[in-house]
Amino acid sequence: MAIIIDADKCGHIQNCPGEGLCIKLCETGALTDVDGDVAVDDSKCDECDLCIQNCPNQAISKQ
Amino acid sequence: MSLVKREGIENRELIHNNDKCVGCGICADICPTESLRLGPIVPIARGLLKMDYISCNANNCVLCGLCASACPFDALSLEIDGEVISNIGSYPVWHNGAEINDEDCLYCENCVEACPRDSIFFKRELPDRNDLLVGTISVNEDDCIYCKVCSELCPAEAITISSNNEFGIPDTIEINEDKCVYCQVCKRACPQNAIKAVCSTCMHQEEIEKPKITGTIFIEQNCVNCGWCESVCPADAVKVNKPFVGEVLRDPELVCKGETCHACQDVCPCNAIEIIDNESSIDPSHCVLCGACAKACPQHLLTVKRDSMKLDNIQSPSWKSILGKLVE
Repeated sequence: MAIIIDADKCGHIQNCPGEGLCIKLCETGALTDVDGDVAVDDSKCDECDLCIQNCPNQAISKQ
Repeated sequence: MSLVKREGIENRELIHNNDKCVGCGICADICPTESLRLGPIVPIARGLLKMDYISCNANNCVLCGLCASACPFDALSLEIDGEVISNIGSYPVWHNGAEINDEDCLYCENCVEACPRDSIFFKRELPDRNDLLVGTISVNEDDCIYCKVCSELCPAEAITISSNNEFGIPDTIEINEDKCVYCQVCKRACPQNAIKAVCSTCMHQEEIEKPKITGTIFIEQNCVNCGWCESVCPADAVKVNKPFVGEVLRDPELVCKGETCHACQDVCPCNAIEIIDNESSIDPSHCVLCGACAKACPQHLLTVKRDSMKLDNIQSPSWKSILGKLVE
């Protein structure tokens, strides 16, 4: 399973109501801020789904 | 914070107290008009978002008071003409609570350390140390050379050596008898034998009265009745009455993400959840079955099963059916 971020829903981190909440919630370092957008490193993801559950834009899903 | 206020034949106001709120969402689940919404409890509990746990769509709310009656933590209250509904005879009343009997309390402070909500007001009066000791101490200033050996060794920090001359050279010694415990370390160490000290505490043991430690202790309003105070109290001075009886069930088919998630642990108002061997572990003796953990878990591992509750005086059949869902 891989984490998918819908770029249209996400916008950029500067527009996020949670100011990049998914990055702050992720404790495995799988989500990072790369040039103002959220980047996913699937190899670090533990699939805890905290980011999916708490994204204020509902932009995160799993495939 | 006032959520909704309307004036009419009756004046009604719904008030939310976020300090008492645990983010369990019982109110939002029970609201018949779906006016209450539970916020993102995990980021709020972690301090990543600064907002109240609950928000209310004031246009939808009919100020019925079901949410206030359902909240076991008194975080929501409906006032009708300035009176809280639980004080009006026809509305439901919770009978959970926690109480410290100050007659039995030993003022050890264990409960204060254990309380996950900092809900215990504690102040104790210690006896005067001099009432527990008998002795005398004095310095012969003619012999004292102000070497500070005594003041550096004194375990009670009762000796001060200072200077009263323009060169800053030590020329004064003072012993604070309120601090001195007549241990005589100073006397033994003094190279000049300038200190005279006698301890006669042992000789006067019979006469020294055993002091009673007194103080002020009570449980403040943001208590969630988790029972930590009761379980750590060595004097059985605390009685806690939890809002629900039941258990938290864990789906064995699903996988807990343990240390990388720990959402349940962060939202638990009772400090009842630990991650042990990378698995969430709930201590039932301190759980109040609020259900915040079940809502926080992204894997939906947990279900709260409540068998009974300390809510009574539910008079209307429709309220019985709605509030009854809390224990289904």
